[in-house]
Amino acid sequence: MPKQINVALIGNPNTGKTSVFNSLSGLNQKVGNYPGITVDKKEGICKLPRGVKAHIIDLPGTYSLNASSLDENVVIELLLNRNDKDFPDVAVVVSDVENLKRNLLLFTQIKDLEIPTILVINMSDRMAYKGITLDIPFLEKELQTKIALVSTRKKLGIDELKELITNYKELSLKPSLAASEIDKDYFDKLRKAFPNQLLYKLWLVITQDVNFGNVNRNEVQAIDSFKTKSNADLKRLQQKETIKRYQFINNTLKKGQTIDLKTAKDLRIKLDRVLTHKVFGYVIFFVILLTMFQAVYDWATYPTDFIDESFASLANWTKNTLPPGAFTNLLAEGIIAGIGGVMVFIPPIAILFLFIALLEESGYMSRVVFLMDNIMKRFGLSGKSVVPLISGNACAIPAVMAARNIESWKERLITILVTPFTTCSARLPVYVIIISLVIPKGSFLGLNYQALTLMALYIIGFMTAIISAYILNKVLKIKSKSYFVIEMPSYKVPLFKNVALTVLEKTKTFVFEAGKIILAISIVLWFLASYGPGEQFNDAENIIKTENIALSGDDLEDKIAAHKLEHSYIGIVGKAIEPVIKPLGYDWKIGIALVTSFAAREVFVGTLATIYSVGSSGDDEETIKSKMAAEVYSNGDKVFTLASGISLLLFYAFAMQCMSTLAIVKRETNSWKWPMYQLVGMTLIAYVAALIAFQVLK
Amino acid sequence: MNTLVQDILAFIAVALAIWFLLHKFGILPKKKSASSKSCGEDDCGCH
Repeated sequence: MPKQINVALIGNPNTGKTSVFNSLSGLNQKVGNYPGITVDKKEGICKLPRGVKAHIIDLPGTYSLNASSLDENVVIELLLNRNDKDFPDVAVVVSDVENLKRNLLLFTQIKDLEIPTILVINMSDRMAYKGITLDIPFLEKELQTKIALVSTRKKLGIDELKELITNYKELSLKPSLAASEIDKDYFDKLRKAFPNQLLYKLWLVITQDVNFGNVNRNEVQAIDSFKTKSNADLKRLQQKETIKRYQFINNTLKKGQTIDLKTAKDLRIKLDRVLTHKVFGYVIFFVILLTMFQAVYDWATYPTDFIDESFASLANWTKNTLPPGAFTNLLAEGIIAGIGGVMVFIPPIAILFLFIALLEESGYMSRVVFLMDNIMKRFGLSGKSVVPLISGNACAIPAVMAARNIESWKERLITILVTPFTTCSARLPVYVIIISLVIPKGSFLGLNYQALTLMALYIIGFMTAIISAYILNKVLKIKSKSYFVIEMPSYKVPLFKNVALTVLEKTKTFVFEAGKIILAISIVLWFLASYGPGEQFNDAENIIKTENIALSGDDLEDKIAAHKLEHSYIGIVGKAIEPVIKPLGYDWKIGIALVTSFAAREVFVGTLATIYSVGSSGDDEETIKSKMAAEVYSNGDKVFTLASGISLLLFYAFAMQCMSTLAIVKRETNSWKWPMYQLVGMTLIAYVAALIAFQVLK
Repeated sequence: MNTLVQDILAFIAVALAIWFLLHKFGILPKKKSASSKSCGEDDCGCH
């Protein structure tokens, strides 16, 4: 037996597959991407009995091997390619005890590929609650497999599962359904033509309209000659296959599973009645959102302030301890300020993702999608558009990709175009700091003004997205049809481990992905702000001393630093764009932050932190927030006022400040036309909204 | 640490940062993985 075996975790969505993955691999896991696509690839290592190690892949959730989305393609591509380094030695199909009938369809398909397959029946702790009893020996015999009854919540059955994986060679390879039963004549011909190929694999290659880039095409290319049947005939055969599978599953479950409805206690129906109610449903959702935003402020304040102050002290210590010079300045003003600009946002982002993970884990998020479908339809969007619009609150990039499962091109295009209006987590750092600067701390009826402002910004983003969708629906002349189907998973008490891992993973992604960009931009900015051409920059000390004979000490140092910054490379660029942004209430330093944050919105705060650090004599332990609060124009007026603050908030609510989103929209629409419309349209809306806000409030 | 060493270290850091950003935003071409054949990197015509 090899020392390391490949294990593929496969299952329908919402079967607790990821919980099984977490139970098997613990913290020995990493998240990457499948080559060339942005579908998450979760891998982990698990120690099995008798010194065997398992390399586990948590494959994307799929209902069957009849792929209809990119996620599902990943599963089928792996299972059809024995040359893939990740090809499983054993497949573990995870099912949910309450939806066994539907889950077994995928199981029988995988079994027919003659891969050693174990069936995990998850959430077994709910059997008594739902009045379900299973005849495991009978099911194992009929399904030709070994079954592990698992409850990740109660930590039951994991050791038994590990034992079954270790002994995978004892598993039967006999298929559940002989493929030839679908159409005997057709499959006999296939078998004669390709005696060395697996019949069901051939059938999948013929019928699936997916990319088989990883499958050795040469082996099966000649199959095209077997496309003697029309597409409609092939579809009919696929339907026949599904019916045959369900007949087999029904017969098996009739004897192997009993459900006593008298003992079943169904809280789910009662909860659904309230949570999806046409009035209370929205009220509850609104209250949950409000609580979430209140928590982002109330809980994040202390750790955020602590991190901010620690980095300010570290920068000051670095400058005072290390020998003076360019690298010391880069460390204190560029690198430490840049890293500080990333780290201060860990607490609010972690809290936001904590809430999102809790809502998803509990099963409530699917109810929100269902609830919002009523609204979506009125604005010309599909119910499925809700998924991108909700995931857009984390990041627009996967959200735009999530629109792939919308069948209608028009609805998909509209969803792609409006999704970037929803408030992604990259906007959060900008919102958090500007709100804390310009919105007073008081409260009304116990509701924090700052939390209310944050919530208002989320609502503005969402409303703009659906209003834009309504307009685009009227303007774009593309004909299409669509439908909406969503699965409502059971309500569950969220598992601490799953929630913690989600928060950890999302926060890590922010720190390491956005963080690297912010740090690199901070270093480049430090250079552009610390060097400049001409006499005004190089001879700044003499110029200021001549002009301000009475000045001395810190005042003189600050004046020299400010003069140098104004005549540095970045100062020259900032001054050039100042006339365009001045009507919005911004100075040239904010202008620079607007330009750099085109790379990613969260760069805004880091940019200002670097510019303000270079632009001061740097002897004080000032935090990013206090530096921004203290920033004044030459006449002594504050830069960050209610008017300029609201103007900035609205600018960031509407502007397409994200190069990566533009790139992904180009890829999804296969044209530069749509991302360019998006960029121009969103920037215009942002400019006009910010202009009106500043001119009215100033 | 003398001024020259400090200048050299600072300029190396700036050069690395510029190189990273150019790669990140696709201005410099990325090295293509030889093993990657699945769709997405090039137009495979499957969508």
